[in-house]
Amino acid sequence: MDATIVADEVSRTFGPVRAIDRLTLEIPPGVIYGLLGPSGSGKTTFLRMVVGALRPTEGRLLVLGRTMPDRAVAGQIGYMPQTAALYPDLTLRENLAFFGRIYGLRGRKLEDRVEQLVNDLGLLGWVDQPLYRFSSGMLQRASLACALLHQPELLVLDEPTVGLDPVLRRSLWAHFRQLAEQGKTLLISTHTMDEADRCDLLGFLRGGRLLASDTPAALRLQTGQADLEDAFLALAGQPGIPVGEP
Amino acid sequence: MSWQRVLALMLRIVRQFRRDKRTLALILVVPVLVLSLLGYIYRGSGEPTRLAVVLEGDSPLARQVLALLEETSSLQVIVMEREPALQAVDRREVDGVLVLPALPVQPGTQPEVELILEGSQPSAAGAIAGAVSRALPQAIIQTMSPSGQAIQIEPRFLHGGPQFDQLDYFAPTFIGFFAFFFVFLLTSVSFLRERLQGSIERLIVSPLDRREIVLGYMLGFTLFATVQSIVMVIFTVAVLRIHYAGELWLVVFLTFLMTVGAVNLGIFLSAFARTELQVVQFIPIVITPQGLLSGIIWPVDSLPRPLQWLAQALPLTWANEALRAVMIRGEGLDALGLHLAVLIGFAAAMAALAMVTLRREVA
Ligand SMILES: Nc1ncnc2c1ncn2[C@@H]1O[C@H](COP(=O)(O)OP(=O)(O)OP(=O)(O)O)[C@@H](O)[C@H]1O
Ligand SMILES: [Mg+2]
Repeated sequence: MDATIVADEVSRTFGPVRAIDRLTLEIPPGVIYGLLGPSGSGKTTFLRMVVGALRPTEGRLLVLGRTMPDRAVAGQIGYMPQTAALYPDLTLRENLAFFGRIYGLRGRKLEDRVEQLVNDLGLLGWVDQPLYRFSSGMLQRASLACALLHQPELLVLDEPTVGLDPVLRRSLWAHFRQLAEQGKTLLISTHTMDEADRCDLLGFLRGGRLLASDTPAALRLQTGQADLEDAFLALAGQPGIPVGEP
Repeated sequence: MSWQRVLALMLRIVRQFRRDKRTLALILVVPVLVLSLLGYIYRGSGEPTRLAVVLEGDSPLARQVLALLEETSSLQVIVMEREPALQAVDRREVDGVLVLPALPVQPGTQPEVELILEGSQPSAAGAIAGAVSRALPQAIIQTMSPSGQAIQIEPRFLHGGPQFDQLDYFAPTFIGFFAFFFVFLLTSVSFLRERLQGSIERLIVSPLDRREIVLGYMLGFTLFATVQSIVMVIFTVAVLRIHYAGELWLVVFLTFLMTVGAVNLGIFLSAFARTELQVVQFIPIVITPQGLLSGIIWPVDSLPRPLQWLAQALPLTWANEALRAVMIRGEGLDALGLHLAVLIGFAAAMAALAMVTLRREVA
């Protein structure tokens, strides 16, 4: 099957800043791809290009077979931005209904999805509360619910579990795994090592360059570090590692 | 183009609006308050202008002048001696002093009528000068003519009527102005919020296209603007008893055209603001010139030439002319071809600009 995401020498500059520098990678369908990297390394920039919110300045970025940005695949992508980006004056149900309808859900189907997600994400008692009453972890879950609502082929999640407790984090990752088993592709940026270990493939970004992209096990082997965190630090400390080479 | 998505967006805007009680009050109550205030100013009885009359001698003519002045409803006439009267005007207890000599004087000499005006309040001074200059010739004619008959002028009005006042003249344009003002302000603020909270990015990467976004916003906000204009029409007709000659649905329709332009102008200009304060800074640029120059208070014809040209470039000028044509002269849509063309053209141009700013959203 064709890769869900194909990046070929993709670069993105903001004035003088090279936020993504000649990034090349392929993400096959049905995997969880984790994007690791220090703050400011370009994770969000890459994710935004994948969902079509940013235009690459150079290179070619194919998502679900289309050169991005392309609205034709918008309905098959679910995006959870780094900030909640919802409507604080509306209730959770109203926010979900709005995004659901925009993605073509309606009636019974929409209601069922809302109920199911609200259950899965532990927000059942809050569904008719306006979002300005939510804690940041709850907002995070509400935002995730909006991205999952239409059961997209590709899920792009920017630090989805920041601020969540370990129990919730675990259940979410179980959910992500389930989605991957159904053949969905997940592209997730993260800071935490335990989450990185749950990914099928990992990419290390630094200063806009993809220092490595492989399975967690292979990365351990390559750097000679048993601990992923040490592997990450080893990569971060070695600017000489070839770009995009596993 | 999917109407389901457009409706979803419209529904969201309506919901947010309904939730926001203060803004709702702003757009429905404030116009009514302002109109009530204007109605009170123009129709309520204010302090009359006070005129002291000094009679230096007794004559039929002087008495006739006095009688005529006393009939003038906007004046309160007090007969006084010369010295106290001069002191009174000095202390601003009266607004003017009229000194009437023993009229008529000898043939061939001019009667010496003295008029002293306090003068710091132009409207009071104007009222006195006007009343006096009407009363004198009238009195002369009445005392001279054998029958003692005054010349009566019965005006015949083509439009309006004897009871037609400033409020009747203002009211139609206020409906258009408020709709434009509030819709512009609310759209630019809520679109800016969409950017600040990042939800615009969610919309941009969703299946919504730019036309659907513009249309959804337009429907959502014009719905409230239409409700607002209906409230204002009802209020001006039922409470203020404005003398409308035309069909009221035309007012609502013209207002609708204005608000379509205002929504898109709001989307367009919000791209140039980074904070809500910066949105407010657009008011002096977008709203104030239109408020002053579009003929709401001063007719465009009475403006200096260069300002008339400027006024012709403002959409509100055309809306106001059309609203007055409909509401004062009772004209129909067929007489307003040019006005409609300008308003539709404005709305279309603003919609195009709004689309361009939305395209830039995928940077
Ligand atoms: N819209 C923008 N305008 C200008 N510069 C930007 C913009 N977005 C990102 N950058 C720059 O690009 C670089 C990468 O930013 P990015 O947000 O992708 O990092 P990140 O890896 O997501 O960081 P974090 O972990 O803190 O979220 C930074 O130097 C940032 O300053
Ligand atoms: Mg980021």
